[in-house]
Amino acid sequence: MSGQRPAAPVATAGPVERRRGWTGWFDPRGRRLGGWAFALNRLTGLGLVAYLYLHLGVLFLLSQGPDGWDAFVDVALSPPILVMDVVLIFGMLLHGLNGIRVGLVGYGMVATRQGALFVGLMIIGAIVLLAATLRVFA
Amino acid sequence: MSVQPTPTDEPGGGAGAFLGQVISGAALLVLLTLHMIAQHFVLPEGLRDYASVIEWVANPIVVVLELSFLAFVTWHALLGLRAIVFDYGFSPSTERWITRTFVVIGVVTVVYGTWLMYAIVSAA
Amino acid sequence: MAEPQTTPTRPVRFRVHRRKAGDSGGRYDSFEVQLDEQRTVLDGLVAIRKEQDPSLTFRHSCFHASCGTCGMRVNGADVLACVTKVADLGPTVTVEPLANIPLVSDLVVDMGAFYGPFSRAGRPLLRESELVPGSQRAEGIDVLTRYEDCIECGICVSACPLTGSDPRYAGPAALCAAGRVIEEPRDADRLAALRFADGSHGVWRCHVAYECTGACPSNADPGAHIMRLRRAATAGRFRRWFGVGRAAR
Repeated sequence: MSGQRPAAPVATAGPVERRRGWTGWFDPRGRRLGGWAFALNRLTGLGLVAYLYLHLGVLFLLSQGPDGWDAFVDVALSPPILVMDVVLIFGMLLHGLNGIRVGLVGYGMVATRQGALFVGLMIIGAIVLLAATLRVFA
Repeated sequence: MSVQPTPTDEPGGGAGAFLGQVISGAALLVLLTLHMIAQHFVLPEGLRDYASVIEWVANPIVVVLELSFLAFVTWHALLGLRAIVFDYGFSPSTERWITRTFVVIGVVTVVYGTWLMYAIVSAA
Repeated sequence: MAEPQTTPTRPVRFRVHRRKAGDSGGRYDSFEVQLDEQRTVLDGLVAIRKEQDPSLTFRHSCFHASCGTCGMRVNGADVLACVTKVADLGPTVTVEPLANIPLVSDLVVDMGAFYGPFSRAGRPLLRESELVPGSQRAEGIDVLTRYEDCIECGICVSACPLTGSDPRYAGPAALCAAGRVIEEPRDADRLAALRFADGSHGVWRCHVAYECTGACPSNADPGAHIMRLRRAATAGRFRRWFGVGRAAR
């Protein structure tokens, strides 16, 4: 044993604050389905807010005439950006469909079946994501 | 027990914000779906070029829908960010300042988006 | 005469959180214990304290998931150590105290802090047990109280991702108890319990992660109770706004 200590009277400690802290909400250890739903909802939410402001910034090009916008469209239709589009759609679907779960369960509906509801919604999301991906790369 | 409970906050605190998230989230399910279909999925090219955008926003219904989308998505996004910030347990006075800050950011966002739409519609 | 059967054992490495009074921070001590596959994490800790380090502190009592005293984090999961078999955990078992509750020593947390939100709730949550007719009570004990299905282990508070960041949040245990008052008031003050819960640091702080429900070892289901409290609070508000039905508050 590497941590052997001699027998000693047990000291009484004043309680020490020991919270999970700022990043504790994303601690993946021991997390269950609802916990993953919460963490992914938050991550996708943060990502979507960032995208919202990026999108609004890019749309400024429309106020400057056709040259800037049409050049942007050429870039936006390149394969790497299309892959990012699929990631964006994934985020929208996960956040939106999980939002249905949060809205229903958050008002006491299906409060004991939230896990099954999440799984069902994610199956719908996977089907829609597959269809959207095929459309994006069509 | 005769001891009266101490409320966890002012009665109903947080209920309005949650209701706001649910209402704006429900609206976004419709408006975002319409936005994605109209701007990306019905077009053979996958994205509107400048001429197509100008033609598209000439329809006043489109303008109303897109501005509604902007308002709801800004509301939902900033209310969500506020909820994340509030999770870190600030004092009531700090929470009020955080709320005011988000309101200002939201108003600026919607004003900017509305101006942008005006500029595009004017070009049309 | 047949020889007595012996259950094969294997060495299990325990990494145990340590922190005593005056320590500037926590550390992890390693111990190796021979355990058979039926043994639990609590068995391992008892063996460590008995044979290797008597200064190791942890709480336990019943050894069968009834008393709720041995709640701790094992390999990152919030569990009762007495019913968590080492055979299910891999070669190394990391044992830490419950999170989000102040630490007293090693694996012992301050249950007084855990009960804080109960006190803020005016304790409408404790109620008299329905004793079996003819049962005996200890001398000097007039009433017995118990928080129903909840065994007051603190695991839900440790598992909750919100309690970890917001010290003002009432937490799943106290809100679950308030939910039971709404569900089955008996003689408790239903509206007072609802007022306790209906705040931005009450039921509306919850983000529907349901980690509390998933971790709860006695099926008290704090998550569902929190959501039912929201429904009750919202229904009462709508009744007041629109003047329909019976007033909830």
